[in-house]
Amino acid sequence: MPHYIGVILDENRLAQIKGTPLEEKIQDLFGGQLKMLVVEVPEDKTEQILKAFDRARIDSRGFIEDLPVAFKRALFEEIAKAKSLDVIDKVLERLPEIQEAAKKESEYIPPPEIE
Amino acid sequence: MAKLKMPPPHGGELVNRVIEKKEYAESLAAGAIEFDLKPTLDPNGVPIRHVYREIVSVCYGFFSPVEGSMTQNDLEGVLKERRLENGWVFPYPILLDVSEEDLKSLDVKEGDRLLLKLKGQPFAIMDVEEVYKIDPKDVATRTFGTPENNPEVVRQPFDEKHPGWMIYRCMNPYVIAGKWTIINPPKFREPYDRFWLPPAECRAVIKYVKKWRTCIAHQTRNVPHTGHEMLMKCAAYTGDIEPCHGILVNAIIGAKRKGDYPNEAILEGHEAVNKYGYIKPSRHMVTFTLWDMRYGNPIESLLHGIIRQNMGCTHHMFGRDHAAVGEYYDKYATQILWSEGIPSFGFEAPPNEVEKGLKIIPQNMAEFWYCPVCGEIAYSENCGHVKEKQKFSGSFLRGMVAEGVMPPKVVMRPEVYKAIVKWWKVFGYPFVNNKYLENLNKELEIDLAPMEIPKA
Repeated sequence: MPHYIGVILDENRLAQIKGTPLEEKIQDLFGGQLKMLVVEVPEDKTEQILKAFDRARIDSRGFIEDLPVAFKRALFEEIAKAKSLDVIDKVLERLPEIQEAAKKESEYIPPPEIE
Repeated sequence: MAKLKMPPPHGGELVNRVIEKKEYAESLAAGAIEFDLKPTLDPNGVPIRHVYREIVSVCYGFFSPVEGSMTQNDLEGVLKERRLENGWVFPYPILLDVSEEDLKSLDVKEGDRLLLKLKGQPFAIMDVEEVYKIDPKDVATRTFGTPENNPEVVRQPFDEKHPGWMIYRCMNPYVIAGKWTIINPPKFREPYDRFWLPPAECRAVIKYVKKWRTCIAHQTRNVPHTGHEMLMKCAAYTGDIEPCHGILVNAIIGAKRKGDYPNEAILEGHEAVNKYGYIKPSRHMVTFTLWDMRYGNPIESLLHGIIRQNMGCTHHMFGRDHAAVGEYYDKYATQILWSEGIPSFGFEAPPNEVEKGLKIIPQNMAEFWYCPVCGEIAYSENCGHVKEKQKFSGSFLRGMVAEGVMPPKVVMRPEVYKAIVKWWKVFGYPFVNNKYLENLNKELEIDLAPMEIPKA
């Protein structure tokens, strides 16, 4: 059974995929207040991801959550590069680099600058 | 239907084992055998529990009628049928566990008085009733149940990945049993001090200040998203001849699972709900209980019921997957317990229908989701747009927060998000991690005043 990873699109990410076929795949959440791309992950790749990141888990919606920020960033980078959602293999090729970045994330994540 | 009134404390009377008079306290501790309280560590040396939290919760009456570290008979009763030796329902072993090395150096026996020290200061005394040996793994497994022994609700065997099971598994093999008495009342640090309302005071505030005749409790270990807010608002429509007058949020404060939000953000996040008017402060109050959460779903719900009954609540809301982690229990285990009972855990009937059971009334709630068709947050038992539903997911929200994306206000109130960011800036991290746990273990939630105890 496939699972899913949601990639949230802020203004910066929306600008990067503007005019590409990805625009048609954007899903509206919460009355359009949040935009998201949904990447389908086959079962064997799901297992690989859960094994690579010990905090990762599947939530009640069938989405793989609690993934490191580094993973989500790499996933969007590959999506923007390929202009496609079929990029999970590309992301998994970068697993050692992502795992290295994720280790630092367990100590520090820079807080956003908000009022 | 008769109008409801505040239920009595569980066991009949609130436990109050706190000595405020310093001279008297010092005289009680004079000559006692000193013992420094220590945290429970996981195999990696990470602190996952500190017994001081249980001492505070016992002595201030949150866990009434429990008065201290359990005797072997109490422990067996709790593990077998969730009953103390005196028959009152109680779900969890409460134990002062010590290592063989500590036991030898203490050379303690029945009748001795111990002076329990914390952060280098005298904190509490205990009169030793019994010293006995436990098998921590057996205690852990019997506490939470097994698929074979508790087939109604246990779905998979408990293991090292379950934080509550690990707390008991990592305990020391000897237990010193006896009543605890705090002799140096703790001073809560900021922001905990604003939310500290032990049961006796909470009952008085509910009755005389807030003037709530009925009050529904909301258990939390999370910063609130709007799904939680709707749960509180809708569950509070129960009551008797009118909706509940008040909503008591009671956060569980202690060591938590990595990835949960820091305690400080949880308290201030809930405070933001009333401070900014999403639920009026005249109807909503935020408090906490010290307890290293065991994530025991139906077992934890019993403790929650006891705590909140002791605090003066008439009702308690229970959602799906209450106080759960992973898929060890049925998602509806808590609701099964409170609607029909779980015989293998000692409940042929719901806990509020058994002898020496609870008096608090359960309010089992289903789910809330965002419905784009209704254009609002909807209750699963009302909304027919099941296909279109957008579920609230705590982990989805955590992912959004970690990526630095401000959640839309339909999902999380901006003031709640700001509370997360405030503490994120303090800790350099938005969630509980090893560093947070180590720091929490060092600082704790309290400070203790210096106290000189006369030597024997």
